[in-house]
Amino acid sequence: MTILMTALYDLGYILIFPGFLFCFLVGMLLCGIDRKLVARMQKRVGPPILQPMYDFFKLCGKETIVPAAASKTTFMAAPLIGLAALVVIQLFIPVFGFTAFSGVADIIVILYLLLIPAMSSMLGGAASGSPYAGVGLSREMVTVISCELPLVLVLLAVARTVGNAMGTGLCFSLSTIADFQAANGSLILKGSMIPAAIAMLMVIPGETGNHPFDAAEAETEICEGMLAEYSGAPLGVYKLNHAVKMLTLTSLFVALFLGGLGTGILPLDIIIMFLLCVALTAVSISFVHAVTARLKIEQIFKYYWTVVSGLALISLVLAWYGM
Amino acid sequence: MILFNYIASFFLIVLGFYTIVTKYNLIKTVIGLSIADYGVNLLIITIGYNPGGTAPIFTMGELTQASYFVDPIPQALTLTSIVIGACVTAMSLALVIKLEEQYGTLDTREIRRLRG
Amino acid sequence: MSILNYHHFPIYSIMILFLGAFLTVVFGHKKALRNIFALLAVSVSLACMIALVKPVMLDGEIISYWMGGRGIAGGYAIGISLEVDALSLFFGLLISTAVFVSCVYSIQYMSHDDNPGQYYTLFLMLSGGVMGLVLTGDIFNMFIMVEILTFAAVALTAFRNKAFGALEAAFKYLVVGCIGSTCILTGVIMLYAQVHTLNFAQLSALIPGNLTPATKVAFALLFVGFSTKAFIVPFHPLAADAHGAAPASISVLISGVLTKSGIYGIIRLCYFLFQSMQLGAIQFMLVFIGSVSMFVCVTMALAQHDFKRLLAFHSISQIGYVLTAVGLCTAFGISAGLYHAMNHTLFKGLLFLAAGAVLHQTGTTDLGKLGGLSRRMPHTTVLFLIGAFSISGLPPFNGFASKWMVYQAVYQKAVESGNIGFLLVLIIALVTSVLTLASFVKVSQSVFFGQLPEEYSDVKEVGFGMRFAMGIFAVLCVITGLFPNLVTTYLTEPAARAVFSVGKYISAMGFDSTVADQAVSFAHAGVWAPVNWLLLLAVMLLAVTIVAVASRYDKVSRRTSETVDTKYQLFYGGEKNVYSQVGGGDLFWGFKHNWRHYFSFMHDLHSGVVNDYALWAVVALALAIVFLQIVL
Repeated sequence: MTILMTALYDLGYILIFPGFLFCFLVGMLLCGIDRKLVARMQKRVGPPILQPMYDFFKLCGKETIVPAAASKTTFMAAPLIGLAALVVIQLFIPVFGFTAFSGVADIIVILYLLLIPAMSSMLGGAASGSPYAGVGLSREMVTVISCELPLVLVLLAVARTVGNAMGTGLCFSLSTIADFQAANGSLILKGSMIPAAIAMLMVIPGETGNHPFDAAEAETEICEGMLAEYSGAPLGVYKLNHAVKMLTLTSLFVALFLGGLGTGILPLDIIIMFLLCVALTAVSISFVHAVTARLKIEQIFKYYWTVVSGLALISLVLAWYGM
Repeated sequence: MILFNYIASFFLIVLGFYTIVTKYNLIKTVIGLSIADYGVNLLIITIGYNPGGTAPIFTMGELTQASYFVDPIPQALTLTSIVIGACVTAMSLALVIKLEEQYGTLDTREIRRLRG
Repeated sequence: MSILNYHHFPIYSIMILFLGAFLTVVFGHKKALRNIFALLAVSVSLACMIALVKPVMLDGEIISYWMGGRGIAGGYAIGISLEVDALSLFFGLLISTAVFVSCVYSIQYMSHDDNPGQYYTLFLMLSGGVMGLVLTGDIFNMFIMVEILTFAAVALTAFRNKAFGALEAAFKYLVVGCIGSTCILTGVIMLYAQVHTLNFAQLSALIPGNLTPATKVAFALLFVGFSTKAFIVPFHPLAADAHGAAPASISVLISGVLTKSGIYGIIRLCYFLFQSMQLGAIQFMLVFIGSVSMFVCVTMALAQHDFKRLLAFHSISQIGYVLTAVGLCTAFGISAGLYHAMNHTLFKGLLFLAAGAVLHQTGTTDLGKLGGLSRRMPHTTVLFLIGAFSISGLPPFNGFASKWMVYQAVYQKAVESGNIGFLLVLIIALVTSVLTLASFVKVSQSVFFGQLPEEYSDVKEVGFGMRFAMGIFAVLCVITGLFPNLVTTYLTEPAARAVFSVGKYISAMGFDSTVADQAVSFAHAGVWAPVNWLLLLAVMLLAVTIVAVASRYDKVSRRTSETVDTKYQLFYGGEKNVYSQVGGGDLFWGFKHNWRHYFSFMHDLHSGVVNDYALWAVVALALAIVFLQIVL
């Protein structure tokens, strides 16, 4: 019976919380809040908060056109694989003290798992055969390369700080990082981690492909790039992917830097987590979106590999020498 | 006397490498390879040489503690090495002929379609 | 001793290949006989290697074998020996697998070439040479095998001598390869002059206590010699030329097998002959060269316009990972390095075979000319994608499992030694990995996806034999990625243990050893359970798909036979189709633009003039000699 119960629990984790349903609802909410916030900052009224959800269901009802030149299987499967991978990442990110599946992956794995959604959208775009998608995927890849270096540095800095404090020298496990913060207070309170936290905040819009780092999708310039040929339900899934990605990265930030704010009571923790995600979205995505113009792709690369990486590197060096 | 052999062998090796690096003619490159090879052969023979030793040809009964002969192993190695050297020369010259047919030149500076 | 005693198997697995080479000369004109002999030779060789897994890997026996029964006289080795420990066998297994798959592939792939008889002869000579190199226990024998394999590889590089650049590549390879061989021979003879033996085990017993300036020079010579075989920086341009010009089945061997023999030589040299890996300076040397190879070659690959040339640079980039991990001098690091070496053979083989399939069907590997082949060659595309995901380290494929171990090993080393330099290595490794992904996105876009050019609209899928060969590699890629514990327990950890039991290696041949075996530990901090992860992903994918199907996701409208409806055409924004092509070569403009000075510098540096490459070799030799004189 216990095996059955465990399996049921696991299925619950996968499908409801923190898996599929949770990702869907919270991601869409984050997306809606983001749109509303940007609108308010720009003195517009903005769409209702549930608008992304309406959009999604509307898109699902629309006709899906597969271009004659496309490779159908890859074209149709790519968004689904991206979505599945994103939700699986969410399963490994602790909600303060609670981790759905702790013994499966560590932060290096998560670093690589974050590549899968990007990879699937790139392959989907490539499979459509559109030249706009070609340009889009080229830019998407460069954005991924840009974000990779600072992300690596941030993760290593956190791993080193926690490892130092625990006496093991290194710590790759996210749930250990969460436990450490629950016991010793959030990492962001450490002076040496502040540059890394700022760098991570800057990485979030790049990874999600939000303004001003959305050269890969630049609607006005290359017609949404990789999404140029997508329509109907697959396009809806891509929009959903984008929303879930916002949740994934903001909750990763919470797990890395704000892990000490949990209460130990799961329902309360979920609400705190959600509020923190909203706050982070507001700071790192909405606010930046409202005040900046889109960067060119080579500027994105330069920005990430100099400013952001520099900040993360400061943290890493400080952490390395035990400060 | 032996010292001179060592100096000569390393001189030949370095000369061979120098030829390969500085000469732009394919044939000269091949010659450079051969020179380096001869240098190594000379080195091997020199290492096996014992002043005043006899040829290392004995039957089981003749070999005593007092026998004094040159080291036979390096000689065997030299034979192998000479054979290999000849093969290198043959093969590289064959390639040079083909290259000349295809590129119409023996200048290494012009045989550089593969680069970057 | 019975003829089927497993002590004979190492020599069988070498000789059967040379015998096969001889027979394919004799029967070269008869297609069926030739193929049968070649296949038989490689299968027997593979079978011999697999049969040795139990005694060597599991029971930890070291097979010592004196040719002709002539062993030790008066304390000195007078015969030629074979010595097979877990390390040798590990490489032997890799090699025989790659050779077997490559042979299966060749049967169809080479069927339209001139003189396939000579092809098989050279092919088997090359295989036999590499096999002999890793199984021998005699350092001069090692040199002979190096010469045989260099020769066969050069000849095979030039095999399609009408192809673009084949002769040129072969000549460059010959020149620098011969410089390397000369170095090895000089090193061997200088060691002989010092300790008067050629037996590996005896050399390992005598040299470490006997370090003279001459043996240090010999170390440098041997190191440079084996580096030319492994094609690590600064010998990487040769790899690019040779891999690019050779037939694909040979590229598999050059990249998957030849480079491994170089790595094997370096491990034997540093861990066994000189036992100097405890020195920080030697570790620094290997890790430094490894990291430089990793990074330089991946950036060079990003600048390539040719499918196979791009793969060749990636090959060396991955060898950089192997060398870095091996240079850490921790048991876990070696295990990780060997694991990656194995995976490199598998995924690189798969990718080269896929490139060969494209070349076979379209006649070109130019990224700028190809495109959209996924609809014409769906199986090849899937196989290629498995290889591409493996090499770029996407979970759950094997490249990820081994790279992950390499990262763990490097970070562990960084923590243990407190040296921040290792952290830099880790960062380089992680960034290299994402750059690798970038170039394979480029290849996918410009060969398999994107737009299909008119001239390739009637391309067909390759034949079953070639797909079967690729399939073997692909299946192995997935298996070794999903079950890393099996691979480490049964293959890489015994091999890593063998590296740390030099004393056992020496005494197995009957020499006195004073070297104590070191205790090894394979502990590491990270967590990665690929099967659990895959289960999660599968359940999730199932859930997503069910929801998708339920909401009629798969109900798409697509052009039926003859209707011409503009809504199914690609959107070009009013431009003509021909003006809207995305060139494969410059796909990552945004990245390259920022590094344009670096890229143009590298482009000028790789001038393609053989003198330059020879100069690099000589300079590397000089540096190695000076460096090792100082630090040893």
